[in-house]
Amino acid sequence: MRKPLEIVIVGGGTAGWMAAAGLVGILGSDSVRVRLVESDEIGTVGVGEATLPQMRKFNDALGIVEADMMRRTNASFKLGIEFVDWGYQGSSYMHPFGAHGRPIGGVAFQHQWIRAGQNGHTFPIEDFSFAITAARLDRFDFPDEDPASVRATFDYAYHLDASLYARFLRSFAETRGVFRSEGKVVDVALDPERGDVVSVRLESGEILSGDFFIDCSGFRSLLLGQALEVPFDDWSKWLPCDSAFAVPTPRAGPFTPYTRSTARDAGWQWRIPLQHRTGNGYVFSSGFTDNERAAETLLANLEAPPLADPRLLRFKAGRRTRSWDRNCLAIGLSSGFLEPLESTSIYLIQVAIMNFIRLLPEAEVDPALAGEFNRLMNVEYDRIRDFLILHYHLNRRDDAELWRYCRAMEVPDSLERKMALFRHRGFIEQYKDGLFSPPSWLSVFLGQGLAPLHYHPMADAMPLPALLGEMEMLRSNVRTEAMALPSHALAIEDYCAASVAAGAAA
Amino acid sequence: MSKRVERVVVVGRDAAAWLAALALRRAFGPVGVEVEVVELPSLLHAVDVYAALPSLAGLHRLVGLDEREMLRACAGVPVGGQRFTGWSGGDGAFVHGYDVQRLAIEDLDFLQYWIKARGEGLRVPFEDFSPAASAAKQGRIGRGDGDPSSLGALQHGYHLDARAYAALARRKALSAGVRARTEFAAAEFDANSIAAIRLDDGSRIEADLFVDASGAEAVLIGGLAGSDFESWGRWLPGDRILAASAPALKPLPAFAQISAVPAGWIGLHPLRDRTALVAAFSSEQATDAEMLESAARMTGLRFGGDAIAAPFAPGIRRSPWIGNCVALGEAAVALEPLDSVQLHLVHAGISNLVALFPATAGEMPESVAYANAIASHARNVRDFQVAHYRLNRRTGEALWDRAREPEGPVSLAARLDLFGARGRVVLYDDETFEEQSWAAILIGHGLMPRSHDLKVDKVPPREQMERFQNLLRLIAGEVRAMPTADQWLEPA
Repeated sequence: MRKPLEIVIVGGGTAGWMAAAGLVGILGSDSVRVRLVESDEIGTVGVGEATLPQMRKFNDALGIVEADMMRRTNASFKLGIEFVDWGYQGSSYMHPFGAHGRPIGGVAFQHQWIRAGQNGHTFPIEDFSFAITAARLDRFDFPDEDPASVRATFDYAYHLDASLYARFLRSFAETRGVFRSEGKVVDVALDPERGDVVSVRLESGEILSGDFFIDCSGFRSLLLGQALEVPFDDWSKWLPCDSAFAVPTPRAGPFTPYTRSTARDAGWQWRIPLQHRTGNGYVFSSGFTDNERAAETLLANLEAPPLADPRLLRFKAGRRTRSWDRNCLAIGLSSGFLEPLESTSIYLIQVAIMNFIRLLPEAEVDPALAGEFNRLMNVEYDRIRDFLILHYHLNRRDDAELWRYCRAMEVPDSLERKMALFRHRGFIEQYKDGLFSPPSWLSVFLGQGLAPLHYHPMADAMPLPALLGEMEMLRSNVRTEAMALPSHALAIEDYCAASVAAGAAA
Repeated sequence: MSKRVERVVVVGRDAAAWLAALALRRAFGPVGVEVEVVELPSLLHAVDVYAALPSLAGLHRLVGLDEREMLRACAGVPVGGQRFTGWSGGDGAFVHGYDVQRLAIEDLDFLQYWIKARGEGLRVPFEDFSPAASAAKQGRIGRGDGDPSSLGALQHGYHLDARAYAALARRKALSAGVRARTEFAAAEFDANSIAAIRLDDGSRIEADLFVDASGAEAVLIGGLAGSDFESWGRWLPGDRILAASAPALKPLPAFAQISAVPAGWIGLHPLRDRTALVAAFSSEQATDAEMLESAARMTGLRFGGDAIAAPFAPGIRRSPWIGNCVALGEAAVALEPLDSVQLHLVHAGISNLVALFPATAGEMPESVAYANAIASHARNVRDFQVAHYRLNRRTGEALWDRAREPEGPVSLAARLDLFGARGRVVLYDDETFEEQSWAAILIGHGLMPRSHDLKVDKVPPREQMERFQNLLRLIAGEVRAMPTADQWLEPA
């Protein structure tokens, strides 16, 4: 057996502790020795955070018990995201974790739906999504095991307190042999000839050396960006938001099993319901408003009085051209940033960890491993980027400069092509790696108001009355089954109610 | 509302033309689409064979072809893989078996365990752990029904008499309502689209959509601006394809044998009534007669006097759909008849055309998505073929020495580098060959991964050895229960 790989993780927070827990949880401490350095003085960006269903795979791989994790992070269930005022003011649509309808007559559901509409039978597309119907009723239950049931057509994720999740993983990692050092990194030593990272020095003078370094230092990108000078690919011309105010409030309003994103003059506001409180924030572009007005906008649009002063975060959309360079890998914000519009931050951390474990190097790093890692991560980032741009670009709001700018901006060719094909005939490309799958694209295309002109010609083979009958049946089935679910509040109460202590700790 | 596509004219020949016409008629006949074929003289000869991957069954489901009927009509046989000999020098023969799934233990590729065990002295070749390769070597064919997760659930490809197969597709197309004409004279072009097809008698056939299935001749798309052909000849050295036939082999082997020779490669494809030879080679290195001689010498078979050779140029058409004209088959992509991919590429064209069948006559923005899909399919298959050449170990032969030079394609270089580093396969969108196929040929050609996944180390060595032995026993048991190819064809 080879000598364990010595890994130093710089930075705690969600990325750092997910990485530490993932490494020892999956590989065991015989194969890797993990040390993590973090400073209690440096705040983490962890606010109320919404996730994607993939997160369950990560927790499962570590053997984490879901109900336990949810109790300890004040988590609630999430069936999707509601977008309010995005397409135009007064509009609302939902991006669900699940399908709309099912293929009918050999073609994807949207073709039959377009066809019905062109024949004068317009149905809201949401009526065919079990996830959306349940979400709009504030109801939740786990997916059915029987794949033929309409209750098996969805997936779910969580809203959770990311700093509590990091704390939860910290105790998981520490009991499995991860060693934590307290302190700030003040210096990064590189090998003068090879350029690899050799060690990091802490304020206390302590020096941590290792075979491999994982940079979880957040936006500062201490190792990858600053020491190794890996360039940053700036995407702010497509995603101009560069700031956010975040503020918690007591829980108020309906306990929704979904995230809400409401478009505002210079960005959008999030609402993330946790068990004990609601996370709120305003993501905005400093080019289209100023801090003062942004804070005012946020405070004027809360459901309950704030529990703290709004906290300002600054960022820039884009990614490092390589996340893995030499013997250093950046995970989380140090590798890139995409605004939390589609809840992708924890997903990107998770994908990086799982890919890294599959491609784990030896003390001498084989560049082919880094090459494949970077290819996979770039695919993830680029595909999420296109999907986010879509939300901004397809809008009919004429009330604010940001929205006019986004509507007029040139978008990447890859996105232009996707929009053109959907507009012409409801076609959605499928790809192997990366987010998002066709149901996600469908909900945002339609929700943002891109109405297809035509549909797949094969749809017409089915007689229209038969189609309409089937659609009516599907729709009523979705409704009936969704009505039979317990409320989200009851589901949480039964399954994973947080103790008072967890609530107080936040 | 814009006009729908109501008339499709396919100009072409042989399997590509008739399968396309049949598929389009079956998919769109019910919504009133007329399909007509303007048939060009066949380029097939009595000696020609179509070697097909298991995926052909998917195309047959699409067009409604019954497997047993198809095999009877085409002197066809089921095959479980391809055996490569002489590519890597010495005794480096190996079988690429058509495994349905990659073997995994606790979600981790079996290959990773094998890499470690090999480093510790294991002598059992990788292919012994492939149920498909083991079955193929013993001349056996999996039943394909049963539990799909069982090790014995295998798919099979086919060897088919090419003329009989094209004729079958033609009959099926005609009985599905496809109309047929001959006497193609010329295409009439208008504003970089096809206006009509003119026949010898002066009549004109108009249509909303024209399909070019004419092969390398590209009689339609070749006349449109922007249809230039990108050559892949620097990576695939064969510029001539030779076909011949010898008497049938008994018992029937369950694989094709693909042997490297100084000027290229020679493939032997068992059929029920004969053994079909296909060779791709460089005319700089050998003449047709020399290739035939070396085939006879190598195989000990007697080839008939009806051998046929034709020039060949690999590559891809940069825009396979221009205006109202879609190219498929060799009019769009030409690759060597290596790895049994010819019909697969026709299949990729047809299924993408069905999925992207134009929603309206006139404007057809579907062309961009079609072009992307075809190009990505083709590049992936090309990489697989070039990998055979790149990894060869025949030294002192001009063609093979040059083939080893590491120049592009970039996508292949990434695959070879990663596999060499860790035994993992880089997979892009639209792959024809999945991990298990890549692993089979890369290891077969001698590219041994230098490290393994650390998760393997969590299994104690003794337990590991027991697992290996169990696996070999299980595979041997499954294979023993399978019928031979002859039994499969004539069930008792």
